[in-house]
Amino acid sequence: MFYRDLYIKCTPKRLLAAVLLSGTVLTAGGLTNTASAEEKVVVAVSPLGADSNLYWATTGAFIFPSMQTLVGNDAQTGKYDNSQLAESWEHNEDFTSWTFKLHPAAKFSGDWGPVTAADVVHSFNLHIGEDAKLSGISNFRKMEITAVDDHTVRFDLPNPTPNFLFSHAGRGSLVIYSKAQFDAEGLAGYEAAPAGSGPFEYKEREVGQSLTFSTIADHWTGVSPEFDEIEFRWVSEPSTRLAMLSAGEAHAVTLPRDLQDDAAEAGQKVLSSSEGAMQSTMLFTGQFMNPEAEENRDARTYAWADQRVREAVNRALDRDAILEVLYGEGVRALPVYTMDPRFPGFSEEIAKGFDDAYGYDPEKAMALLAEAGYPDAFDTPEIPLVVTSLAGNPEFAQMAELVQAYLDVVGIKTQMREQDWATGNTAIRGFTADFVTPMRNAPVRPSALGVQIFFTKHASPHLDIGDPELNDLGGKLISETDPAARDEVLKAMFTRIFDSYAHIPMATVPASVVVNGDLVEGWNFPGASSSGLSHYHLIDLK
Amino acid sequence: MAELHLQSHRLQNLWQKARELPLLPIGVLLIVFIIPALFAEVIAPHDPYVPNLRARLQPPVFFGGTWDYMLGTDRLGRDILSRILHGAWYVLAVSMIGIAVGVVVGTTLGLIAGYARGWFDGLVMRLVDISLALPAMLLALALAAAIGASFLSVVIVVGFALWAYFARQVRAEVLLLRNSDFVARSQVAGASHLRILFRHILPNVMNTIVVLATLQVGIAIMLDASLSFLGIGIPRPTPTWGLLVSDGRDFIATDWWISFFPGLAILLTVMAANMLGDWLREQLDPRQRQI
Amino acid sequence: MLKYLSRRIASSLFALLVITFIVFLLTQLSGSPVDALLPDDATQEQIDSFIREWGLDKPLWQQYLTFLGNAAQGDFGTSLKWPGQDAMGFVLDRMPATLELGGLAILMSVVIALPLGVAAAVYKGGSIDNGAQIFALVGQSMPSFWLGIILIWVFSVWLGWLPTSGMGSFSHAILPAIAIAWFQISALARLTRSAMLEVLDVEYIKLARVKGVSEWSVVWKHALRNAAVVPLTYFGILAASILTGSVVIETVFSWPGMGWVAIEAIRGRDFPVVQAVIIAYAVIYMISNLVVDLLYVVVDPRVRHG
Repeated sequence: MFYRDLYIKCTPKRLLAAVLLSGTVLTAGGLTNTASAEEKVVVAVSPLGADSNLYWATTGAFIFPSMQTLVGNDAQTGKYDNSQLAESWEHNEDFTSWTFKLHPAAKFSGDWGPVTAADVVHSFNLHIGEDAKLSGISNFRKMEITAVDDHTVRFDLPNPTPNFLFSHAGRGSLVIYSKAQFDAEGLAGYEAAPAGSGPFEYKEREVGQSLTFSTIADHWTGVSPEFDEIEFRWVSEPSTRLAMLSAGEAHAVTLPRDLQDDAAEAGQKVLSSSEGAMQSTMLFTGQFMNPEAEENRDARTYAWADQRVREAVNRALDRDAILEVLYGEGVRALPVYTMDPRFPGFSEEIAKGFDDAYGYDPEKAMALLAEAGYPDAFDTPEIPLVVTSLAGNPEFAQMAELVQAYLDVVGIKTQMREQDWATGNTAIRGFTADFVTPMRNAPVRPSALGVQIFFTKHASPHLDIGDPELNDLGGKLISETDPAARDEVLKAMFTRIFDSYAHIPMATVPASVVVNGDLVEGWNFPGASSSGLSHYHLIDLK
Repeated sequence: MAELHLQSHRLQNLWQKARELPLLPIGVLLIVFIIPALFAEVIAPHDPYVPNLRARLQPPVFFGGTWDYMLGTDRLGRDILSRILHGAWYVLAVSMIGIAVGVVVGTTLGLIAGYARGWFDGLVMRLVDISLALPAMLLALALAAAIGASFLSVVIVVGFALWAYFARQVRAEVLLLRNSDFVARSQVAGASHLRILFRHILPNVMNTIVVLATLQVGIAIMLDASLSFLGIGIPRPTPTWGLLVSDGRDFIATDWWISFFPGLAILLTVMAANMLGDWLREQLDPRQRQI
Repeated sequence: MLKYLSRRIASSLFALLVITFIVFLLTQLSGSPVDALLPDDATQEQIDSFIREWGLDKPLWQQYLTFLGNAAQGDFGTSLKWPGQDAMGFVLDRMPATLELGGLAILMSVVIALPLGVAAAVYKGGSIDNGAQIFALVGQSMPSFWLGIILIWVFSVWLGWLPTSGMGSFSHAILPAIAIAWFQISALARLTRSAMLEVLDVEYIKLARVKGVSEWSVVWKHALRNAAVVPLTYFGILAASILTGSVVIETVFSWPGMGWVAIEAIRGRDFPVVQAVIIAYAVIYMISNLVVDLLYVVVDPRVRHG
């Protein structure tokens, strides 16, 4: 009996002691882990598709702040500027030859010397290698590069390419590595710590966890960030990222749109890019506008091969309401996916006519469906809607859910297909896609690139909608070099897409990042890169 | 006279048993799980699928909301209560069918393995090893990627995750039983193997199966929730509880009700099922200690 | 003993072989890595060279045999998602993180569950027993990711005691370990309780009490040793479920262990790493079961496997 009492008395005391002790240890541990404003800036984002120091071996989603491209983007306007390696550039009349002059003062971190034309040529050759996965690389393989002198390089292209600067700016098809480092250390040197010319220096990587860069004092551009280090942390759960921000462990995090609202209510600051960073849409797949059956399948049997059904789908959607849910207030509806006022081909007329042609009108939608004999006159009246999530676009799942609810109201039959991005893409690439899927255009490509990729056979044949007229216009666009004529062709293409209700356009959205209001004052970035983030040196601490 | 006495004694026994019925868990299961599953159409105040963008993120009634949306609404303005009620059916279906798959496959293999011994026993036990060594979650991911996430894939995964436990337990019991007197007697009497297995052995392992199955309800529901968390559960817009909790998880700190109430539904149901399982175990099979 | 051991190892190897086959088939079925690893607007030329480079154009059986041959030498290929990383090497690099987390979770489970279970049994029907039962029931009834996120908000954001996520100091491991351990604590405490109840009822324990052996020693020495066999058999399952649990919890806490690798690799269709990680899981599971079986023999000499 005595021992039994002892046992009772003893245990709680020991327990209490243990709890207190561990509490103390934890508190101490917790404090040291809070990000301190002066030294290190922590940015938490969702994990990358491919994680490597060799930029060309990734999908180009993230350009290290230590690395530079040839062309920069203005932090405010997003316009091309010479803030990166090229001081100036020029092109010949038909846009087939581009010459870049490098900043003479540009130099690599460490002791790898100045940035010269040889480094550009060397990097170019690395980028077009077998292991390259970068977007736009296939075009690079067709061009020739020449080092004119120490600080001048020339690209000779087979086709007129008026949008060549896009590849060299935010989209980042070519990032400049040091030839001197390669000659001394080989690829292993890059894998250990690639030297770059940016205002930060590669410090370390914790595989799958984080990447850290330290600030370079007296950088050749004169840029001087007000912190010593910047660390990128890969965290896949949005709620964990928000928790990091709220706990002061992170200065800035990316969050899904509706979580941004919550964060803002809780006193955090949402910063948006100065320009639209991403266009979203839902695409009808297959060559549904092809008057002839395809080799692989016949998209003419899909319900959306009928233009009246396509118009009904668009009319059934209350875009204002949908966009407010998906992207918050103040986000503009997009009249035609890939059309953008910043680029040639933008049609005022289409933009003005959008409400008339695409406005919310369920009755019109029902009338159109009745006219088309939907659903009885269709072999497959049911429209499969893809529910998917894509890093950077968590709203895609909700988009499909909302669209379904609206289509349901007017009597369009739908079926939700939950699949990951890769599965959907496999179907599209395999020419077996038979669904309506969310799609994005990020960063917003110059219209002439975007429209070819998403609607014609000329860039990505698996996305071709099969319209002979569009394909003809696309063919013209490839060889046309006169800016005014190009503008006309593009306008014709957008008009064709618009008039035939060839897709379900959604919105142009700025990139945004949520910062801890106690730690960060502001941050200007144009939303011109794939992830939407850039210009890390402009992070303004309190 | 003696006969009569015995009968009244039996009646008394039954009455006692009935009084000992764990009313709390049974009541909870009925209210939270079974009745909603069967009668959601009638009870639910709103359509669980149709968004109402004017009523987004309404808090629950005692936290500034209205009786119209008792448990609040989600990001698309759908009534949480209605979604939970409608979701119950899917949760019930997944756990019941998944467990049924596990029971049928596991019991059959376990019975035969324990009875026949030999190479078949060896094979089944290796299969049990394999199935236990393959984390169900990884299998689910691969399966979802392969055939696409669907009601079917979730049921398969649940069945796969559970069958080995049944097989192992049943086999162990059969091993004990096959050496017992009554099996030997039946064999001498010339009963066929099938008859012995299903008439004599199966009834004796039934208790174990029932207890184990009840306790697996919780595991099945949790597995379903984890699958939804990984984005490979029953596809949207089906409001299974796992999806509701996992959809609302980002908002735990702010719009907590989105995931709290579905989470509570899971918590109550699993707790009640486990309590019922414990009770059954004590009634039917006090020896057994399987978790 | 040696014969028993070698037979167990042989059967484990057979099981592994079957698992490699299943894993190979599933990963083959699960969509092309092309789409996860190439950009949205990759051209046909890029796709073709990618397919050639990774041998995705060969017949399936040939791919499997190649895979098996290389796997036997520990070569699972190079990661697609983490370019330049050897698949198995990469997984093994992450293993200590998972073992650290799993070890801490097991430690927590044992340290909390055993005394809890024993106390619940000794004071059957009392408030400790009731409390322990409720604790156990709650623990077994919460989705682990939900628990994990709640823990983050309570202990990291509101109380500010612990870091939210990631790996680093010891304090980083505490929350994820709790999130994994809670379920196990529940299971183990219940198991210990029922085993203890049974043992405390046995004649020789009663005899010991009558003989005046102190209650402390009755409970902790005589009874627990005999009851321990039961929880021990559970360790095999414990190891497996902690590994499985780590898949979800590591994602929530962005803890770079094997579970995290598994999810990232499957999402990125990184076949070599997926295969490596599942095989690694299976091997850990089998080894831990082997160890449990051996321990079983040590703790309870009466048990002999045949």
